[in-house]
Amino acid sequence: MSGPRGSGSSSGDVALPPLLIEREPSGLTLVAIQKRGLPLFHARLSLPAGAAGDPRGKAGLASFTVDLLRRGTRDRSAMEVDELVEGMGAQLNTEVAMDEAALGLTVPDELSAAALDAMLEVALEPSFPEEEVAMARRRMLSALQSDLDEPSVVAGRAVVTLGYGRAHPYGHPGAGFRREVETFQRDDVLAFHATRYQQAGAVLAVVGQDEPARLLSLMRAALSSRSWPSDARPPPLEFHAMPPPPGLRAVVIHKPDSTQAQVRIVSPGLPKNTSRYAAAVVANTALGGGFTSVLVDAIRVDRGLSYSVSSRLAMSRHAGLAIFASFTKNETLRELIDVALEKMRGFALTGPTSETLEKTRRYLAGLFPLGLESHEALAEQIADALLDGTGLDHLAKYRSRVLAVTPAEAAAAARDLSPARDGAQLIVVGDEVVARKCLEGLCGVEVRTLEEFG
Amino acid sequence: MPLDPRDFPVEERSLPNGLQIRTLQDRSLPVATLYSFFRVGSRNERPGITGISHLFEHMMFNGSKRYGPKEFDRKLEAAGGTSNAYTSNDLTAYYEEFASDALPLVLDLESDRMASLVIDDTSLAREREVVKEERRFRTDNDIDGMMDEAMSSLAFLAHPYRWPVVGWMTDLDLISRGDCERYFRTYYAPNNCTLLLVGDFDRDDALTLIEKSYGHIPSGETLPLVATGEPPQKGERRSAIHFPAQAPAILVGFRGPDGRDPDSLVLDLIEAALSYGEGARLKRALVYGQELCVDAHAFFGWRIDPGLFEIALKLNPGADPAKAESALFAELQRVCDEPLTGKELSRAKNLVRANLLRGLQTANGKAQTLGQMEMMLGSWRALFDLPARYQAITAAEIQRVARKTFAPHRRNVVTLVPSEEAAS
Repeated sequence: MSGPRGSGSSSGDVALPPLLIEREPSGLTLVAIQKRGLPLFHARLSLPAGAAGDPRGKAGLASFTVDLLRRGTRDRSAMEVDELVEGMGAQLNTEVAMDEAALGLTVPDELSAAALDAMLEVALEPSFPEEEVAMARRRMLSALQSDLDEPSVVAGRAVVTLGYGRAHPYGHPGAGFRREVETFQRDDVLAFHATRYQQAGAVLAVVGQDEPARLLSLMRAALSSRSWPSDARPPPLEFHAMPPPPGLRAVVIHKPDSTQAQVRIVSPGLPKNTSRYAAAVVANTALGGGFTSVLVDAIRVDRGLSYSVSSRLAMSRHAGLAIFASFTKNETLRELIDVALEKMRGFALTGPTSETLEKTRRYLAGLFPLGLESHEALAEQIADALLDGTGLDHLAKYRSRVLAVTPAEAAAAARDLSPARDGAQLIVVGDEVVARKCLEGLCGVEVRTLEEFG
Repeated sequence: MPLDPRDFPVEERSLPNGLQIRTLQDRSLPVATLYSFFRVGSRNERPGITGISHLFEHMMFNGSKRYGPKEFDRKLEAAGGTSNAYTSNDLTAYYEEFASDALPLVLDLESDRMASLVIDDTSLAREREVVKEERRFRTDNDIDGMMDEAMSSLAFLAHPYRWPVVGWMTDLDLISRGDCERYFRTYYAPNNCTLLLVGDFDRDDALTLIEKSYGHIPSGETLPLVATGEPPQKGERRSAIHFPAQAPAILVGFRGPDGRDPDSLVLDLIEAALSYGEGARLKRALVYGQELCVDAHAFFGWRIDPGLFEIALKLNPGADPAKAESALFAELQRVCDEPLTGKELSRAKNLVRANLLRGLQTANGKAQTLGQMEMMLGSWRALFDLPARYQAITAAEIQRVARKTFAPHRRNVVTLVPSEEAAS
């Protein structure tokens, strides 16, 4: 599959750069993308090893495993891996999302073969030395405890835990919980790596100056000298959405001495491969995605209640969340919540005005190419489109799909995806006494400790 | 690999009113970025109105003669664009990223607010509250923010770098509309501004549009001098913050050179050797080796006047701050006493060069980088010399600059002491 290069007006679809996509018999997908200009090369390996695959009672294992990859391979110590990668000027980035784990690195173009080889060695042939596992466990426990000092981090961890519910494969933060990380052993890591770092469902994408066919050869050559973990299949995941109970309920996470409270309002959303993707994005952007959105206008611009206000759709492969996020000083906590609920409920009833709809469609269409500018963004967007099953049209036709969203589609999405709809959860990270007083008469309040989310 | 100026065909112009213009065409995607850099930041403030530069940045979005309140972003977003801004100690930058056919609108919006910003009491009162929320978020309820603030006040006695960019909370309440109007007249004139336009546009058309949009705006007066005096530091200074926290933290700062001093590039390499990547010296020693810290990193940023080289340690819960401090000082002494190995020096140079390249991938990155070169090093052309200048730095120079910078009597130390409740 390939696509011609080209640009267009602000409303025409954006042609993807020259690329080749090949599916290997093993299930591994290779993506070669040519990007001329700066002499850079980027490689990204996405693997079906995301946080959703954390075994029960082992939340954080996917993240723990990816962090340990570079702490030693069959042929190199951790220090030698660092010297190899960083000696090229690269920093090996690792990330864990709900559905995937990914490694990526960017180097000057002349180092492409060495960089690709190094990344594959780290991903596929780690040795997980016992002493490194023990050290990594201590580091992760310390980092999780330190994270409790950051109210916005705690709020983010609470959103996924409460938003999906602990029984859902997505219902825990990627970094896990200290009480579960404490139990991690080398055998857990070995088993996770063996069953999740598989070719089936993986995408190796590279972006470089060369023509796609040459980049494809480069990938094949690098892969030929590497062996993958066993092909033992992991148990399938069960994605059963629990209907939320009716009404609004509040969870206060007590952080003493806060002069400001973090506020989140969360409801179920949609998976990324939904047929309503464009309408959902348009409706959410009109609600709280841009600087002129309904929520920013009401909370920041008109009332000066907060510096930051947003609504967003967190979309993973099997489920998603609709999330309102903001913060305000203790004295205006109730006012911010009241305004947010009123505006979100009002927007759910009416949807965007025709003027707002037009503005939002053009806003999204105009800015879309910015997400394809860098080597890293290009590789990630294309790999994700393939993995999520949305296909390259998700990118190639993005602008025309967004511009075609009708008032009825936007109104339906506004109604169905409001973070504040019936069954929503209100999460406040702040001083318990202040929060309880502010929430009087609004809804039932449950107080939880910081440690529960760390 | 050097950066080839032929790959960055920057066009340089200026208007009779003093406005500086730099354009760089890149037609690979139908987007562009416009940066407006103003040479004003918190170093141009005085006690009593600290934070006005940053507060003023917020005020720039509240209406001008031809575009009323809320119209700036409404018009821009409806044309497929977005805007933002930032304020530092030394400068204030506004930028728009947009679909390329929105260029005429973007230039009209930007030039109209430079020519005729409207400042009223209502919007000032509202933005003051927004900025106070930002301060509560980034400083009052954030450990890194409160330590940064303490470090600036500790390391600088007289220089304006002593107060935070966001300003003291009490000063934010005192800034008046008159203060804002004087600030605008003084610092927001075309002769104090450089435009950087990068992306998909026709160069001649763009320059014609810029001239038409900005050419009528009169120059401002000569800028007031900044009180940049700072007495030499003659001994270590210390400060402690008592705050409810899970773990102790340490921030160490040493006064360094200004951005144009050649030693600043040497400090960039020291920063990389100490802090970039998992194999950096501080991470290897304090995080992996002695297991004292969750994170250890160094930071050195170019400033107009002599700034700070800082090292931040986030300790493991229960770790002994004295032990972590000793371990850090031993690592700094090692940079002074032993030359970096060839591998280490080459690693640091490669990491700095690759970071530079990666920063040039997007229109925004190119505009931001070229603008920083212009503002901090005097010309966008400095970008093309940088790789060779870094490459020429020797291990002996690293030692010389480390000895000069990391002398114990130049040390400033802020310690976070976890406590049951905040000291009030």
